[in-house]
Amino acid sequence: MMLFHYVHKNTPLHTMDGRIKVLCLVLLSLTASLATDVSDYLLLSAVILTALFVSRLPLIPLLRDMKFFLFLILFVFVMNAIGTGGEPIPDFPIRSVSVAGILTGAMFAWRLILIIILCAIMTGTTSLLVLKKAIEWGLRPIPFIPETRVGTMVNLTFVLIPVVLDQYTEMSVAQKARCVDSRKNPVKRVMFITLPLLSNIFRKTDELIFAMEARCYSEERTKAVFMKVCPMDWLILLICVLTIILMIV
Amino acid sequence: MSPNSNSSNLRMTVYAALFTAFIIIGGYISVPVPVGPVPIVLADFFVMLTALFLGYKWGPVSVALFLALGALGLPVFAGGKAGLAVLFGPTGGFLLGYLLLVIVTGLLTEKIKSVSAKGTLLKNIAALIAGNVLLYLVGVPWLKVVTKLPWSGALAAGLIPFIPGIIIKIAAAVIVAQVLLPRFKQATAQSAPRHEDA
Amino acid sequence: MPIVEARNLSHVFADGTAAIEDVNLQIEPKEFVVIAGPNGSGKTVFIRHLNGLLAPTRGQVLINGESIAKNLLQTRKKVGMVFQDSDSQIVGQTVEEDVAFGPENLNLPPEEVEKLVSESLQAVGLESYAAQNPHTLSGGLKKKLAIAGILAMKPEVIIFDEPFAGLDYPGTVQVLKQIVALHASGHTILLVTHELEKVLAHANRLMIISQGKLVKNGAPSEVIGSCESYGIRMPLRENEGIETLTWLK
Ligand SMILES: Nc1ncnc2c1ncn2[C@@H]1O[C@H](COP(=O)(O)OP(=O)(O)O)[C@@H](O)[C@H]1O
Ligand SMILES: [Mg+2]
Repeated sequence: MMLFHYVHKNTPLHTMDGRIKVLCLVLLSLTASLATDVSDYLLLSAVILTALFVSRLPLIPLLRDMKFFLFLILFVFVMNAIGTGGEPIPDFPIRSVSVAGILTGAMFAWRLILIIILCAIMTGTTSLLVLKKAIEWGLRPIPFIPETRVGTMVNLTFVLIPVVLDQYTEMSVAQKARCVDSRKNPVKRVMFITLPLLSNIFRKTDELIFAMEARCYSEERTKAVFMKVCPMDWLILLICVLTIILMIV
Repeated sequence: MSPNSNSSNLRMTVYAALFTAFIIIGGYISVPVPVGPVPIVLADFFVMLTALFLGYKWGPVSVALFLALGALGLPVFAGGKAGLAVLFGPTGGFLLGYLLLVIVTGLLTEKIKSVSAKGTLLKNIAALIAGNVLLYLVGVPWLKVVTKLPWSGALAAGLIPFIPGIIIKIAAAVIVAQVLLPRFKQATAQSAPRHEDA
Repeated sequence: MPIVEARNLSHVFADGTAAIEDVNLQIEPKEFVVIAGPNGSGKTVFIRHLNGLLAPTRGQVLINGESIAKNLLQTRKKVGMVFQDSDSQIVGQTVEEDVAFGPENLNLPPEEVEKLVSESLQAVGLESYAAQNPHTLSGGLKKKLAIAGILAMKPEVIIFDEPFAGLDYPGTVQVLKQIVALHASGHTILLVTHELEKVLAHANRLMIISQGKLVKNGAPSEVIGSCESYGIRMPLRENEGIETLTWLK
């Protein structure tokens, strides 16, 4: 599974401070939702495509991932084309499709594509460790949210995903050997696959909890350290802020 | 044991993370439906399990973590999608609806006392139905508003193809709970002694 | 004074299973003790009392003459435990981060955490894997990672639960070498196994647990004769000495 495919490289986006990167992501997402006319979209596209270029991420896997979204993008486009109303196109077989509709649909689809690229840049250039630290840091000033616990949970979620998948693979191989697959009744299938799978995973999780206890798990732990934020990071943040300001005025 | 007591804190923290992992993986197992933007996923099945296993205090923590990771741009939503665009897109109502499902189902199962195994079974079924009703009460109108579909279209894309799946998932979730939940709860009650206690 | 002592230790689970009954033992500093017994005899349950992961229903555990109930944190620092299942012991997304888990729990300053991590990785020879994902390591290296995670807390006693289970020949040799080196560097070793032929030559004491009771406790040469009667494979062939019982050349 192509989950969170961080690609190790040495570009300004890779070495960027995680906190500033998350902030930039939020700013640009916000910019995308504020964009209204073609000039807004052009500006945003220029920023995001430059970032993609700077990140030196391989483009082929990105395009492959895009396939997942094709359906959603098409759907949004068609729905807007039909539903916006306005002057219908003469001689077009579907009556409710309008020029205005096609334009709105295209904008929506464009926005979606930009956001998908943005997310791809984020995951491609940020290791989970950096992200976890940034999240922990960002939660520090918020009262009533135990940031170290949230950090631990983020971390454990990504530690447990491969454990669950391994367990599933092991299990399904064993079940295939016993021809459990041939049962058609879905509830019976659940009994034969889900139950032993979950019960194994729970047992592993219980062991993990013991192992964490044995290593003195505590929520009062060493805090994440950050390198000094370099001028390049500030520059990137500045570009994001300028983009949003340009869009508003 | 209450989630605030020290001895079960770590246990529930780890299990909340595990159920977040389940929900993410469940979203990856997604099958597109030909009539609309809402795919069939297993994420909602795991959200139901989260409600039954973690209850109304820790269940929402697990779902909120899932939503927050997606909002930050990690590809955790159905089929590896991510970002605020998805959260506020056509299927966003279903994602936020997960939070409602887990709270309502968790509350109902924890607050209503049942004495027999059969009573628990009926209680879990009822709680899951209530949670799912709420999920679609949020999800379908949201889909209608965002995609500007008429009601008939929204129902055709956001509810009708899922009904058989919902029934199977509720049945499966209840069976899993019936078999695994008693031991899970017992283990929570007697989790490892914490060093803070001493 | 014994470094580890169990007095009248019993554990009855909530479901009524009496997993261990009235276990008494004393372990002196720098001993190498092998604990053998068939599956389900209570070995794992027993050792989990020694660092307070399980609380006894009766009896007590003393470390350096002090009851562990008084200071569980101190106990878990002194008594490190390597679990049978390496996978469910991994808490980090990189090797380095995983080893840092223990010292971070102790809330040590970041520089000290870093120092402990690099020392521990060096001690087990995993320096070159520091940035790697633990799940991609081989079985033997995963076990070494677990050992490094414990060394980072500077333990005096290290307990191994079935360290060779599921390892191939090179993996077993790798881990065995490490264990022998740890003993040589002054650690007290407790090792649970039923594969005596792999390790007994290095031990100075052999204990046999059967049905929750400590039934034999003495020098390997004295105890080994009664192995078979307690369901452990007799590892010795005729005319061979205990010193042949090792997988190290
Ligand atoms: N949490 C538990 N609840 C009930 N019984 C348990 C539990 N853990 C272990 N046991 C039982 O205790 C006995 C000893 O188990 P264990 O110490 O794991 O054996 P082993 O010698 O193989 O390590 C077994 O009969 C096992 O079924
Ligand atoms: Mg065991």
